[in-house]
Formats: sequence, structure tokens, C-alpha cells
Amino acid sequence: MITLVLDIVTTAAILFIVSAGLLVVFGVMKIINFAHASFITIGAYTALVASRFGLPPVLAPAVAFLVGGLIGAAAERIVVRQLYGRPLDAILATWGLSIVIGQLVTLGFGREVQFVPAPVSGTLAIFSEDYSSYRLLLVVAAFVIAGLFTMLLNGTRLGLSTRAVIMNENLAQGLGIDSTRVRLITFGIGCGLAAIAGALITPLASVDPNMGLSWLIGAFMLVMISGGSLPTLGLSCLVLGGLQVLASTFISPILGGLTIAVLAAVALRLRPEGFARA
Amino acid sequence: MPDLGSALWSHASLSLPGLPRALVRVAIPSLLAAALVVVGPWILDTYTLNILVRALFVAIAALTVDVLWGYSGTLTFGQSAFFGIGAYALAIGFTQFGFGPWQALMALGAAVGLAAVVAGFVGWLSFYPGSTPLYASVVSLVLPIVLVQLLYSGGTFTGSSSGLVGFESFDLSLENWFRLAGGAVLATLVIAWIALSSDAGRVLGAMRDNDERCTYLGIDTARVRIALSVVMGVVAALAGFGYVGFSGVAAPENAGFVFGTQLVVMVALGGRGSLIGAVVGALVIEVASAYLSSSLPFVWELIVGVAFVLVIVVLPGGLFGSLRDASAAMHPRLRVLLGRTLSPVSLATLERTAPAPDRDAVVVEVDSVSRHFGSLSVLSGVSFTARQGELVSIVGPNGAGKTTLIRCLADGRERSEGAVRICGQSIGRLSPDRIVGLGLGRKFQAASVFETLSVADCLRVARTRSERPSLIAASPVLALPAAARAVVESSGLAERLDQEARFLSHGLKQALELAMVLALEPQVLLLDEPTAGLTRAERQGFAAVLTDLVARERLCVLIIEHDLDFVRRISSRIILLHQGRVALDGPVAEIVDDPLIREIYTGSTRPKQAGVTP
Repeated sequence: MITLVLDIVTTAAILFIVSAGLLVVFGVMKIINFAHASFITIGAYTALVASRFGLPPVLAPAVAFLVGGLIGAAAERIVVRQLYGRPLDAILATWGLSIVIGQLVTLGFGREVQFVPAPVSGTLAIFSEDYSSYRLLLVVAAFVIAGLFTMLLNGTRLGLSTRAVIMNENLAQGLGIDSTRVRLITFGIGCGLAAIAGALITPLASVDPNMGLSWLIGAFMLVMISGGSLPTLGLSCLVLGGLQVLASTFISPILGGLTIAVLAAVALRLRPEGFARA
Repeated sequence: MPDLGSALWSHASLSLPGLPRALVRVAIPSLLAAALVVVGPWILDTYTLNILVRALFVAIAALTVDVLWGYSGTLTFGQSAFFGIGAYALAIGFTQFGFGPWQALMALGAAVGLAAVVAGFVGWLSFYPGSTPLYASVVSLVLPIVLVQLLYSGGTFTGSSSGLVGFESFDLSLENWFRLAGGAVLATLVIAWIALSSDAGRVLGAMRDNDERCTYLGIDTARVRIALSVVMGVVAALAGFGYVGFSGVAAPENAGFVFGTQLVVMVALGGRGSLIGAVVGALVIEVASAYLSSSLPFVWELIVGVAFVLVIVVLPGGLFGSLRDASAAMHPRLRVLLGRTLSPVSLATLERTAPAPDRDAVVVEVDSVSRHFGSLSVLSGVSFTARQGELVSIVGPNGAGKTTLIRCLADGRERSEGAVRICGQSIGRLSPDRIVGLGLGRKFQAASVFETLSVADCLRVARTRSERPSLIAASPVLALPAAARAVVESSGLAERLDQEARFLSHGLKQALELAMVLALEPQVLLLDEPTAGLTRAERQGFAAVLTDLVARERLCVLIIEHDLDFVRRISSRIILLHQGRVALDGPVAEIVDDPLIREIYTGSTRPKQAGVTP
């Protein structure tokens, strides 16, 4: 029972970490970054390289954020910027981008599966149940990411401009806010968050050039259903992640793998605007 | 679409002149291609033939993506799922029951039936009044993922992750497979070309350009899109059926999300909205992948990725789209060859088909209609009636609820409380396209037309509800009701019938939309600030058209207007909305001099002739 609850909480945390970057981009720019998966991959390979160079594992997410953020900003500058008026084309272009990144990673690191050691190993006893300490650490990480992001959005000048752009971009521009810059930074942060997610989940899974893809659809559905707000994203992760764990445990793992996509699709049919104002 | 046969016959005589020319234009290239398909096996080596047969079946799936995305505007990643359904129907059928003519027929039936049912269900999920294109794309993403998971969990029945292999299949020589696949592509191309350039095919373009306008022209776009999904799902399933019949292997990759995106990449590179482009894109990518993936394994995919991004950003029309634009710019004659119809259109007038109405019947009854947004009440207890031959102006300051009132009349799901009857029938919770059927036409505030369609095509689409369009022929005659024709001729649209709507001036777009709405032969006409942004001359022309409609056609016109002089000149009655309630309702002379009007329009807080409502 306790294991089940912990499974649900940690799964929700992992889903939240993986989708946060996508949400940031969708919330501000109203486009869907299908290259999100490859930024997760970039983060994972950054962690891999960092561990090969003997960097302390605590630093891996930070390095991943920098690498992912810079590549993301470059991608925004070169590709995404042209497509703000064409949201469906932006999906396609970012998908193309993910093909390119995936192939570059393959060319650089080879196709084979690789492993990164976890920074903390072993288990932690909670209510007399032993549970993987790294998964528990990810819950903390999810809260840190949510906290930092809320601080950035509500406590800084950049956050104020960003919120202005979200609400009314034309007006924001008219007031002298450089919305192009806001978008550039947002896209960079979104990609950086994806890279952090990649670095954080690698110790749980293996690293290969297509690893991000399996996370993409789940993250995408969660973001759509959350309607662009961070607290609702957390809630969606908890509810749908919880149902996923329950379905995998009690029915079948394959059905569990479909839970998020199918339930989110049905929920969106009933409530197309998402659950941001629920 | 049901009633296909009868519609086809009733129009055959009318549209025959359009047929031979269209046939000639398809016939020559198709004969050339057919010759290539027949001769091909003698020229090409076995390896190339092998690859080409697969590529040709993939090209059919790419064609379905092109029709859905390029023509009707639904970006789909899910056609791979239907390809997979066809593939696995054959593989499972032959593995379980062995090979034989009956088994083949059964498998084919299963492929078609299952694809149709799944497509119908997915279509129902994706398309509903008010659905967004993004949602349809989301559902199309989920479909292949669900299907692949089901295949994985199917054990020996589906072959799980390794797929099904080693079943006995059709005993055809490689040469004949090539001819079969080539013939199938050609047939799909020709049928698709004829259907898409027919009168019915135009409706797809109209839905892509402006789904809302289609709905308010009485077209049930959700139903059309679902029907189209079913047809395209079945075609993709047939392609998958052929693919596995030839290759003898059905793998989960044939149904997966990645294959679905590859189909989109092929169409994007070849040119969305160009049938030849989709086929060429599919063939080039499939064949080049087969040759280059062994010599340059990762670099090849890198090149495809870069090319894809470049095309989306720089050449959204793809290779053939850009080719068409470029050649059209250089040689107007070449344009005809490359697919755009430029037939001269002749105007005709339709007899009024609606029964001669009572001259003074009440056609609009609004009974204590309210509209709340949360705790904000925009309309509360609005009641009035309007008769035929009345021109009622609805005036009021910004935020009085004028546009909301129009919305509540035209869409049954808008109002929170109250009842609305149009021509004596309650609108209940009907969707806009059904309310159009009761006799209501709505012109939007901002001109809403089909940007990439020609003026004549915009008007034809407006007639879709009353005359089911032909699926094979494109009529050269544009038959319009007298009122619509009068607007077309007086505004100068008659000289621009073959021009694309996006090149029209603001005033002409407004006139076009009015003509489109009048083509519906409505009894009640809703106009939301039709004269905003028009010149003085255009306004006067508009006033003349309106008063004429009311006097001669006995239309009931409800018009939202800010310009009190204009209102005074044209109206028979004025309703003043103020803070969501009917403040005044009466003849023009009484209302314009009412102190409340003065206070609202000329008082200290508002300048005369307040601006545009949001």
C-alpha cells in the first residue's frame, strides 16, 4: 500500500519534471515544441559526458540546463521564430528539428544504449517500507523546479514581461516589451528544463538517441490537458500518473502505458480548453 | 456522404460540358504514367522494382495524408494506424486461416470494415462543433500509439514486437506486383483529382480556409470531415493490405507513430495540397532511403530532417507547391496544366424555390434571452419580435451586448436562458448549420470569406446546402438567387469571379460575404456592423441593397450599427440595447430623438458615432 502511494507520487514527480519545459513553451508561445524529446536526449547525454569527465552528479542537471538552453535558444533564433503565425507548422518544424538532433546525437555517440550511475543509490525506509532513494529525490527535484519557476515568473522583471506577453502580446509590444526577446528566453528555458529532465531521469533508465521520444506523447498530453498552467500541470500529473500506476499494477502494464494518452484525449474532448480554470 | 448516386445523376446533365475538358486534362498524363507502369518492369532491375513496389503502396498512404492535411486542413499523424490495420488484417487472416481466395476476401473485408469503424470513431472524437484543428492532430497522435501497444500485447496472434512473417500470400510475379501497385497509385490519383476538383471537392478547401463560415453557410463540417476520414482511412488500409501482401511481413513499425510522421514529411516535401507532390515525395524518400540508408545510414536521415525543416520554414507549399506558384507567375497557361482550374464562369439566376411567404409573418421571436459568463451578465431578459419586411437596427453603446445577441440568435448553444424562434421554429440547442436550415443567414463583423477560393467558388460553396454538389463534375455555371446575383453585379464582383478572395479589397470582401449569405435564401438576415470601414460611396450602395432586399424580397433584416444617420436612413424600427436589456423599441422617428439615445450617443461620456465594438 505504502509502496503504491510512493509509486504514484514519484511517477507524478517524474512526469512533472519531464513536462514542465513543454508547458513553459506552450504557455507563453502557444506553440508545441515537438523537439522537446530531443532536448531530453541532449540532457541525458550531457549527464553521460559529465559523469565520464568525473563531474559530481549534482552538477549534471545544471550543466544540462546550460547546454539544452543554449541549443534551444539557437533553435528558436534559426527556426522557430519564423513560425509564430503558423502553430501547426511549428509542430512540424520542431519535429524536423528533433530528427536532426537525433541523428546528430547518433553520429556523435553511436546508437548503442549507455548507462549513467545514480548519484544516490540504495533505499530509504519510509513507514517500514524500503523505497528507492533516487526516486524520492526526484520528488524533491520536482518541487524545486516548480518553486524556482514560480519565483522566476512572479518575482522578477522577466517574469512580469512574460506574463504580459502571455496575456496580450500586442499590448505588451505596444508598451515597449521586447516580446521577441521574451520568446527567445522562454524557448531557451523550456529546452533547458527538458535537458534537466533528461539528466534527472537517466539514472532510472538507459541513454540512447531515441530515449526522449517515449516521453514526448505523455508530456504533450499532460500539457494540453493542463491548459498552460503550472499548478494544473502538477495536478494532472498526480491524477493521470496515479491512474497510470494503478492501471499498470492492477490490470496490465501495457494498458498502463496507454492511460495518460487515452484519458487525456477523452478529457480534452469533453473540455477542449483544458483544466486551467477548473 | 449519403445520397451520392442520386446527386450524381441529377447533376450529370447539368455539368456535362465541364466533363470532357477535365477528362482530357487527366487523360494524357495518366496514359503516360500508365505506359510507364506497364513498361517499368522491363527496364528496371529486380532490386529497384522491389523497393518501388513498397514505395508505391506507401505513396497511396501519403496521398491520404495529403487529402486530409493539404486539402481539408487536418494535420494527421494517424494514417499509419490505418495502413497498419490493413497490413495486420492480411497478416493475421492468412496466418490464422491460411491462404485462399475466400480468406483473401475475408481479410480484405476485415481491413476495410475495421478501418472504416476506427476512422469513424476517431472522426467522431476529433470533429465536433467547435473542435480545433490542434485537437484533431492530438487524437491522430494517440491512435497509432494505442494500436502499436495493442499489437505488442497481442502475443502470437499479432506476433508482438517482431510482427508476423512466414504466411503464404498472393502468388504474383514481381513484375505484376509492380503493375498492380503502379495501377493502384494511378487510380487513386485520378479519382482523387476528379473528386477534389469537383464542386464537392471545393467544399474541402472552404473548410480548410474557414470552418466557421462553412458552418454558418449551413454545412455540417464535422460530418463532412468524419466522412472524409472514413474514406481516407479505408484507402490507407488498402495500401497497407497491398504492402504486406507483397512484402510478406507485417511489423508494428508499419502502424506506428514514427511512420505516421514520415508520411507527413513526405507530403510536406512533395507539396501539401498537390497530389502529384505527395506521390513524388513518397517515392523519392522511400527509394532514396532504401539506397542511401546502407551507404550513409545516419547522414541520410539527417539530410531528410534538414530538408524538412527548411521546407516547412521557407517553402510551406513544398516542392510542387512552389513549382506551381513559380510557373503560374511566369506562364498563365502553364497554370492550367499544373492543376488550377481557370474555367470561365457564367452567371445564372435561380427561381426562388422557397414557398411564397406570408408577407407580414413574425419570423424572429426572442423571449427573455439571457447570457451569463460566470457572474457577469451580458444579456438579461431580452425580448422582442421582428416581422418580414422589417429592417430592425440594433443600437447601443459598446458592451451593450449587441454582438452577443446576434450570437444567441445564430447558435443555439450560446444563450444561458430564454427561447428563440426563427420562422416559427424554436432553435433549441441547435448548432449554427442547423439554424441556417430554419432560414437564418449571418454575416460576420469582419469579412469572413474563403481566402484561397475564387469568388465564384466562394459563392458555389454557399449554395452547397441547397444543392448537393457533384462529386465528379465542376459546373461552369454559377446559378444564384436573384438577390445574391444583384449584389454580385452591383458591387463589381461579377468581373472578378475567377479572382481569389484574398486579393479583394475590404469593401468587396464584405460584398462577397453578403452575397454568400444571400445565396442561402435566408428569411432572416443578421448583419453585424456591415458598414464599418467602408467608404461613403460603398455605404450608400450598401443601404440601397438592404432597402431593396427588404422591400422586394420581404426579408427580415436585423442590423447592428453605430452610425445613427445610416440607421435613420434605412431602418423601419430601432431597438436600443443598454446594459444587456432592451431599453427602447419603436419606430425610427420616436427613438432617434429619445433622451436616452442622446445621453448614450452624444452625452458627456461618449463622443458622437462611437467607434467599433470589440
